[in-house]
Amino acid sequence: MTSDLNRRGFLKSTAATGLAAALAPAIAHAADEPLGIVLVLPSPLGDVGWGHALSAGLDPIKAALGDKAKITVLENIPEGPDADRIMTKAVADGNKFLIAGSFGYQNGALQVAKRNPDVSVLHASGFMTAPNFSPFAARYYQATYLMGMAAAAVSKSGKLGSVSAFPIPELITSVNAFALGAQAINPKVEVSVVWVNSWFDPAKEQEAAKALLAQGCDVIFSNAQDSPSVVSVCEEAGAYVWNLNSSMQKYAPKKYLGCVATDWSPFFSQQINDHIAGTFKGTVAFLGVADKVVKVVDWSKDIPADVMTKITEAEGKIADGSLSVFAGPIAKQDGSEGVAAGASMDDAAIVAMDWHVKGVTTPLPK
Amino acid sequence: MTELPFRLRLIRRDGASRRAALLAPLAALLAAGLVNFLLYIAMGKDPAAVFYAMLVEPFVSWSSFSEVLLKLTPLLLIAEGLAVGFRAKVINIGAEGQFILGAIFAASIPVWFPEATGGWIWALMLLLGGIGGALWATVPAFWRVRLNASEILVTLMMSLIAAQLLNYLLVGPWKDPMGFNFPQSVMFQNDAILPTLIPGTRVNVALILAFVWAGLIYLYMQKSFQGYQLLVGGLAPHATAYAGFSEGRAVWLSLLIGGFAAGLAGAAEVAGPLGQLQRSVSSGYGYTAIIVAYLGGLHPIGIIFSSLLIAALNIGGDNAMVSADLPKAAVEVFQGSLLVFYLAAITLVRFRIQWRPPQEVRA
Repeated sequence: MTSDLNRRGFLKSTAATGLAAALAPAIAHAADEPLGIVLVLPSPLGDVGWGHALSAGLDPIKAALGDKAKITVLENIPEGPDADRIMTKAVADGNKFLIAGSFGYQNGALQVAKRNPDVSVLHASGFMTAPNFSPFAARYYQATYLMGMAAAAVSKSGKLGSVSAFPIPELITSVNAFALGAQAINPKVEVSVVWVNSWFDPAKEQEAAKALLAQGCDVIFSNAQDSPSVVSVCEEAGAYVWNLNSSMQKYAPKKYLGCVATDWSPFFSQQINDHIAGTFKGTVAFLGVADKVVKVVDWSKDIPADVMTKITEAEGKIADGSLSVFAGPIAKQDGSEGVAAGASMDDAAIVAMDWHVKGVTTPLPK
Repeated sequence: MTELPFRLRLIRRDGASRRAALLAPLAALLAAGLVNFLLYIAMGKDPAAVFYAMLVEPFVSWSSFSEVLLKLTPLLLIAEGLAVGFRAKVINIGAEGQFILGAIFAASIPVWFPEATGGWIWALMLLLGGIGGALWATVPAFWRVRLNASEILVTLMMSLIAAQLLNYLLVGPWKDPMGFNFPQSVMFQNDAILPTLIPGTRVNVALILAFVWAGLIYLYMQKSFQGYQLLVGGLAPHATAYAGFSEGRAVWLSLLIGGFAAGLAGAAEVAGPLGQLQRSVSSGYGYTAIIVAYLGGLHPIGIIFSSLLIAALNIGGDNAMVSADLPKAAVEVFQGSLLVFYLAAITLVRFRIQWRPPQEVRA
């Protein structure tokens, strides 16, 4: 609806100014040039993980647009002045569509968007918007809830663990929903978290996983790691493990519980089409199970059939909106009220969530 | 004389030819260019596009060259400071940690006084940064002078501590309360940002500071008596000891100067292109500057050129990634191979290879 209005407005104003004729050659020229699409990633581009999922989301666009698109993936770009320069350079080279694949690129990417109104920017996991700058994020929590149900069913100790990257709301909600899903099956389940404060630090991640295993956790959630570091440690130790973004089943053939996969291609395709049509609009894109961006794949066969039935049922209800993961009553870690009975957290509250639910035992770094 | 396998010996040339010394970098560039040319052909990349982006564009495109100047600033500051110590044989490899402490000290003003205004703020931040870096270097200086602990180890380990201190501040007391729990400080107010030198670029007043610093180090090392004492102390410690110059003083001076420079660079980085304190404040400047210092022959003028070279290589490498679709690993191969060939070439300028078997040397 809004995009229709925009397109109409765009056509009207263009026609009204009478510049259309003057601009025609320029537009025709621009149409000959392939659309430059640049994806910037914080970690080395592997065959698994966040970067892989984003990059794979561009594959259908490459197939659909062919010569009309030129896709560049820039990997292992540290957040900070170097990333700012590289994004500026990419736009100076004539690329018009920028996907900044990490929260830490926010300030630099926003500057690029403000200086270049003809460039459209998608920014992962952020909270700032501008007319040509959209943050995007996955509703991981919808599917980590389902993984929690599975984890509680296969856990013997009732202790679950998570190796998590940064204590930002996106990852906090993933852990919380994991705990809530587990409590739906076994109310006594507890979740411990280790924050490694890095997107990519395999050695530290493995140490964290080992520490959780030593504490008696027998299902580990590898929360936003870009390598199979945690997954392979758990397979060796004989503990169940699961992760986000893309399947790492081949690294844990026996103990892989499942993957909360993200498929960005529908979203990227739509945004790039909007950009080409001139209707790109800066909004918060928060996409989940119903948008087919988030989906659990490679479920373990060890999950009992009765629980699997419950999981499938819950998945259907989340997709049609009849089940809300963060529906009250939800108690906070210290026992105080987080969400009142009958109430439900709205998106604004979810993207800013800075507290753990009861059952997550590790205090959140403040 | 250095022993090599295969019955080769390196023999110092009596007089190193100046022409050969000037040709050495060129030869290294050609050799690295050739090797990498073959690599790009094998990878199916366009070598012309890669070389243009990597070696030419940093100098012909104003936007790229301004970034070279921005990158040169911390390298020049740190390498000049380190060279003082290296010539006195005080090996401070902990500039990374001193850099981080400089950044932390500088950030304390905008973090504690985010509402403060006035043109003095950034200047005070730079000064505090230098003091922070120097203070961090007092620990290895004290350990070396009083406890005879190797400053190489202590400075390196102090860098790890500095990184953890930064981590603690960013996930703890200095975290931006509105930053969605991400480990970074508040964005600095305008007066806590260094004034831009060239409009439309990110080059700031720290560039001038770096060149002034290089000039001061030149005067100190080449013209002052104390600089001369440091130099001789490095070459012949016993001789200077007889002459009444204490080794302890050399250690203190070297580490304080190196620490101050690194801290200043750290302050200029947070108050410059970063504009906030974050975990990736350094991107390894403290370590790269060691290479810069030695590439520049530990000479204040040579270091100006080596920091320009390394900065341009970094910017060129990023350009090649963006414009010529070169993977990051290939960029690093080029940079690494260029350095290796340069070191080989410069060695051959100073030494000649003797192919005959080594003869017994009578003591």
